[in-house]
Amino acid sequence: MSTVKINGKEVTVKDGTLILDAARDAGFEIPTFCYQADLMGVGSCRMCLVEIEGQKKLQPSCITPVLHGMSIHTETPTVMSARASMLEFLLANHALDCPVCDKGGECELQDMVYKYGPHKGRHAEPKFKFQEKDYVLSPVIIKNSNRCVQCMKCVRVCGEVVGANVLGALGRGDHQEETSFLRSFLDCDQDGNCIEVCPVGCFMRLPYRYKTRPWDLKGKDTVCPYCATGCRMVIEERDGIVIRAKAQLGVGLNSETLCARGRFGFDFINSPERLTKPLVKRFGTLEPASWEEALGVIKDNFIAAGKNIGGIASARLTDEELYLFQKLFRSMLGSPNIDSSARWAPEAVEGFIKATGMDEGGASAFDCMESDTVLITGTHLSDENPVTDYIVRRISAGRAMNLVIASPRAMKLDSSASQIVRHNAAAEGHLLDAVTLSVYGGNVDKLRDVPGINRIKDARQDDLAGKAGCSADDIKAIARKLTGEGSVGLFAGTEFLRYPGSIPGLALLKNALKALGKKVTIIPVLDRANQRGAWEMGVHPGFGPGYSPVKERGMGCADMLEAASSGELQALYVVQSDIVAMHPDENFVRGALSGLKFLVVQDCFMSETARLANVVLPASSFAEKDGILTNQEGRAQIIRKLLPPPVKAKRDIDIIRAVGETFDRSFGPKNPVLVLDEIRKEVGMYGEVSLAFNNKRNVDNKLDLKEALVKPAGLAEGLNASGLETKLEPKTDEHPFLLATGNHLFHSGRLSRKSPTLIGLLKNAIVEISAEDASALGLMNGDKVRIKGRYYEAYATLHTRSGSKGGVAFIAENYDDVPVNRFFRRGEGVPRVSITKA
Amino acid sequence: MEKILLKNLGRPGFHTIDSCLVNGGYNGLTEAFKHAPESIIQMVKDSGLRGRGGAGFPTGLKWSFIPKDPTIQKYLCCNADEGEPGTFKDRGIMENDPHLLIEGMIIASYAIGASVSYIYIRGEFVFGTRRLEAAIKEAYEKGFLGKNILGSGFSHDMYIHRGFGAYICGEETALLESIEGYRGQPRKKPPFPALSGLYGKPTVINNVETLACVPAIIEKGPKWFSSIGPEKSPGPKIFCVSGHVKKPGLYELPLGTTMRDLIFDHCGGMLNEGRGLKAVIPGGVSAPMLNAHELDTPLDFDSLAAKGSMLGSGAVVVMDESTCMVKTALIINRFFSHESCGKCTPCRDGTPWLTNILKRIEYGNGRPGDVELLESLCTNIFGRTFCPLGDGAVMALRGALKNFRDEFQHHIDHKRCMVS
Amino acid sequence: MFSDKAKEEIQQVLKKYPNRRSGVMDVLRIAQRERGGHLVKEDMEEIARILGMQTVEVNASAAFYTMYNVEKPVGKYHIQVCRNISCLLLGAENLIKHMERELNIRVGETTPDKKFTLSTVECLGSCGTAPMMQINDDYYENLTAEKIDKILKDLK
Ligand SMILES: Cc1cc2nc3c(=O)[nH]c(=O)nc-3n(C[C@H](O)[C@H](O)[C@H](O)COP(=O)(O)O)c2cc1C
Ligand code: SF4
Ligand code: FES
Repeated sequence: MSTVKINGKEVTVKDGTLILDAARDAGFEIPTFCYQADLMGVGSCRMCLVEIEGQKKLQPSCITPVLHGMSIHTETPTVMSARASMLEFLLANHALDCPVCDKGGECELQDMVYKYGPHKGRHAEPKFKFQEKDYVLSPVIIKNSNRCVQCMKCVRVCGEVVGANVLGALGRGDHQEETSFLRSFLDCDQDGNCIEVCPVGCFMRLPYRYKTRPWDLKGKDTVCPYCATGCRMVIEERDGIVIRAKAQLGVGLNSETLCARGRFGFDFINSPERLTKPLVKRFGTLEPASWEEALGVIKDNFIAAGKNIGGIASARLTDEELYLFQKLFRSMLGSPNIDSSARWAPEAVEGFIKATGMDEGGASAFDCMESDTVLITGTHLSDENPVTDYIVRRISAGRAMNLVIASPRAMKLDSSASQIVRHNAAAEGHLLDAVTLSVYGGNVDKLRDVPGINRIKDARQDDLAGKAGCSADDIKAIARKLTGEGSVGLFAGTEFLRYPGSIPGLALLKNALKALGKKVTIIPVLDRANQRGAWEMGVHPGFGPGYSPVKERGMGCADMLEAASSGELQALYVVQSDIVAMHPDENFVRGALSGLKFLVVQDCFMSETARLANVVLPASSFAEKDGILTNQEGRAQIIRKLLPPPVKAKRDIDIIRAVGETFDRSFGPKNPVLVLDEIRKEVGMYGEVSLAFNNKRNVDNKLDLKEALVKPAGLAEGLNASGLETKLEPKTDEHPFLLATGNHLFHSGRLSRKSPTLIGLLKNAIVEISAEDASALGLMNGDKVRIKGRYYEAYATLHTRSGSKGGVAFIAENYDDVPVNRFFRRGEGVPRVSITKA
Repeated sequence: MEKILLKNLGRPGFHTIDSCLVNGGYNGLTEAFKHAPESIIQMVKDSGLRGRGGAGFPTGLKWSFIPKDPTIQKYLCCNADEGEPGTFKDRGIMENDPHLLIEGMIIASYAIGASVSYIYIRGEFVFGTRRLEAAIKEAYEKGFLGKNILGSGFSHDMYIHRGFGAYICGEETALLESIEGYRGQPRKKPPFPALSGLYGKPTVINNVETLACVPAIIEKGPKWFSSIGPEKSPGPKIFCVSGHVKKPGLYELPLGTTMRDLIFDHCGGMLNEGRGLKAVIPGGVSAPMLNAHELDTPLDFDSLAAKGSMLGSGAVVVMDESTCMVKTALIINRFFSHESCGKCTPCRDGTPWLTNILKRIEYGNGRPGDVELLESLCTNIFGRTFCPLGDGAVMALRGALKNFRDEFQHHIDHKRCMVS
Repeated sequence: MFSDKAKEEIQQVLKKYPNRRSGVMDVLRIAQRERGGHLVKEDMEEIARILGMQTVEVNASAAFYTMYNVEKPVGKYHIQVCRNISCLLLGAENLIKHMERELNIRVGETTPDKKFTLSTVECLGSCGTAPMMQINDDYYENLTAEKIDKILKDLK
């Protein structure tokens, strides 16, 4: 600890604390431009100069650590004049076109000049102009370099945090311009973090341009509705139209960052295609109806169905809604048939929960990154959970650690890795088994009794490595890192759910490492904002809220569909889930649904599933409700209502309750707050979770608030993780590529398809294969290709990625022009396809 | 005084290794290998050698900061960026006696344990680069570079890195950035290069002339070196004389030679007999100019510092009475704003502002209060920049304003020049 | 895209440094020479590929240093006259005007036959032999109007 005096006030801080942080903690404000806690310090803008007794020159407080005994002054006349003079210099070459600048009203330069600046201009020289007109840098970014203050945050965030490195500084001196290669159109993540960090109106949102002034906007705190990273953000509206989503420095685990989906994908809320009134099918067509009528029809049909009813609720709903949904089924309708996903088998979910230890309570991604060795497996983190990728990149750059990335497909984060392993698609399990076997080899005594070890202990390393498609050296190197000094962190993603045969491998590795006395922190990497919440609220056929055992095991989505086909299941209530689009094997779903007597779909849009419904209920988006979401780490976070639901649409919680009330007027609780109270009472994991962390900066400036993590449930004994297997179609010369699915950087689920901005970034389907495979086939990036499987063929644009494993073709699950689930057949395993020039 | 650094100047053909060896070249290296690296550093410390690149930092001391751990990779970088206007001494050494530099670098590398060194030479010096390339090749052939040099067990590789037009790359940390393939902007210090320099490894950066002094120190002994010139600034120094003198060029003289002796004895006096001396820049354009009354100042680190100027690179620019000081200030300031790297606010946005005002004054559009504005901007820049380039710009301008304020005022008041 | 000779040179360059990126200045210089005095988009893209850098990083490196001519073609002879203090004291300004007249172009321009580009530059480290200029790789020192006339005549 060091004790220093700041403006006479004595403070004691950790050694190496920056003067800036020490002063801010002590309550003294120091203005900054180039400083940002999570970027490497550069000390270039000179706004933060302070006086240190005994030193002739003023020192930049943002890069100067305190030394014990220092006496620092932050408000002397010299310091104040230095601040004013820096602002004067910045203004000297600043465009001063505030009236037409999008940043006007929330511009850091404006604010600072107001506070510290010279109030008289002395600069009367011609200004250097970078360009006459703003220029478009990307579909979402427009640039005006004449306003730049050269803090370089855009370039730094692009390199250090996003890892894209597509911005740079061209030229030097006052001609230095932060822009793209030859100022050309950017091919990047389009996440707009450069916009977010820009203190002035230099990088601007293209979709927001000239729409409004910041003071006309009303905003609410929320959480991004796309992946399960759980980024906090503020969404803002004007006249009922949501205009902007933005992250805030120091708030949420994401701080100032968001990905393209989060920052630009909110505009589906404003879509004219939103459902605004209930629809009831009459003589084959869906027609507008009143709520009373719709609810009446539902009641009649639900009564008719009796217990032969099932429910599927989207993993995007709030915890309160999901809780009430399962309560509706379990205690009102008396049916155990509920699920939150059309994609994953219930046993896979149970196995995954057990393997990743979700029942043991939340685990922070920051803690995981504190491990000495971190292994990322089963996820294309860079595309699927971009902000988790940022966190990993940022932390791994700042400390000595091993970062191992195992994935068939190359990803942006690879550049941060100390080891990259390319294994066969769907072979995560073989890879992990091989690693465990290698670990076992050197620790037979300690691992003899690890449950599941018998499964592999007599296997041959070469066989496992061969199945995984990697070299024995790769395997050994991972094993060496995992068993070396220190703790282990794992990021395990949705491939484990997609290929459940891999789950035992994950569980075994975890158990083996624990048996060696290692601290193991696992983060499940999920792709729906409240997937974890859905499970923890018990929207699953095999367990209840808080992973509690259920009296009667119900059917999961696939079983329900099966039962529907056979006429056994009569009614289905689907909330915001487009199972036709999402379930592997579209034909099967369509067939099954047509076998139902009654289908209710509650959604914001007329989804493929809704078209088949007897009753369609207009639901709400995340912007129209209050509630909490639980992210993949198990962090419970609040979202707040910004707008009322459109026209006659209702909040999902109100709809679910209304359905319940048709049976029993007392069904409830009656509002989200009371539901949360009940959750806290009934679900131990949530009892003491702090929801304080809401768009306020954390007290200690840390992004990681552990009190928001759910507590251990200790109830998972009942989880059924048996019978997990991955089925793959055998490889043939005719169909050489295994078809891998997942999310695209700009799209996840089907919601993003309703966002004009995201559609603008990527409209039509692309198929991705490795650059090596492409050149072997004589194909080039951008070619139109035909993808042919046994049951389906489609056309898409080819995207090549260098460094990916051969033999994998990836198509995201999100395109309406290429519904990838048409390639699948129920019961036949992951399909293989051929790719040829169209 | 026996010439050490410029002994080959004006002797065509003496740059090759054969003639170099005949004339005692690489004797310093042979001698060095008889001593432990520690004692080489001690000898350089004892010699009192101070860096010739501008700052005058004691060279032996700088070397002693390098960690002794033999498992850590270390680097030596020779700063041959020679960008300070008025300076052309390093070029003189590299073109005429490249082996002297190479020998000095090998000794320095041996002393600090560097297995690799880079010579950062400015891009315009094509001829010098070719000479150096040829010399390095010769040195490899003769076994002075490469594996196990002269059986000493010490191995060393030497490479040339060419700059390509950026004065700031002479600043040592910008130089490192530039070698690493980034834009040549200075790095923050600490960490200092001695602990984390090139590729994050301990690195010494020395000027060409500094390194060229080393062989003689080893061969002739530190005492011999420290006996030349003043006690605190010993040794021979190359002065680069340009401007209005009869015989401009390079002069190797003891530090402490007075300006008067240099200009009137060695350089044959003023170029035009009829025109008296008006001002002298004693150490490259970053050094504030001195006026005709200060001719008896000895040219060494401390004496010039006492006069509010500096020895800098030893570039002496002589100006006679016909010189317009506003124009001089403009040319010099324009140089700095052209070379500002763009990193920090006061230099990036302040120096072009100064240039614009000076331009205005020079072209007869000065406004009342401009001199005060210049002074105020100088105050706002000085000491607040990230690296010394911005300070250099201010010092130069302040020097002109201090000595010739009237001339600036005249330009403003009369919209024309006082001298022409 | 690069000639065999250039490729060979690039291999040599890469041997000098512990990482590829450090070679960027040399490789840019080679590319500029191959292109006849300036750099174009494709060159920078190729360099980015060779060195494993982003194109914008190559662009940023090139644009920082004044001797790279990014997308700015220069004539066969690039005349760079020093405009700094020592040369100025000995009449550089008049020489520049003289050359503008002789070549019938202004500073920064290229003659219509693409033979000469005239630029001014900061100090080239030849102050003892001022005024001076550089034409491509060579220095021309102690210049006078007559000397310049002769030099230009020989090049024409
Ligand atoms: C803007 C700037 C430019 C510089 N240019 C040079 C240069 O061209 N050559 C040089 O040797 N030192 C130059 N220096 C000084 C170097 O930073 C460094 O002090 C020197 O190379 C150290 O070598 P020495 O100890 O041998 O003098 C420059 C410094 C600054 C701030
Ligand atoms: S003073 Fe600042 S802008 Fe000027 S060269 Fe140094 S770091 Fe760059
Ligand atoms: S905030 Fe410290 S220099 Fe910019």
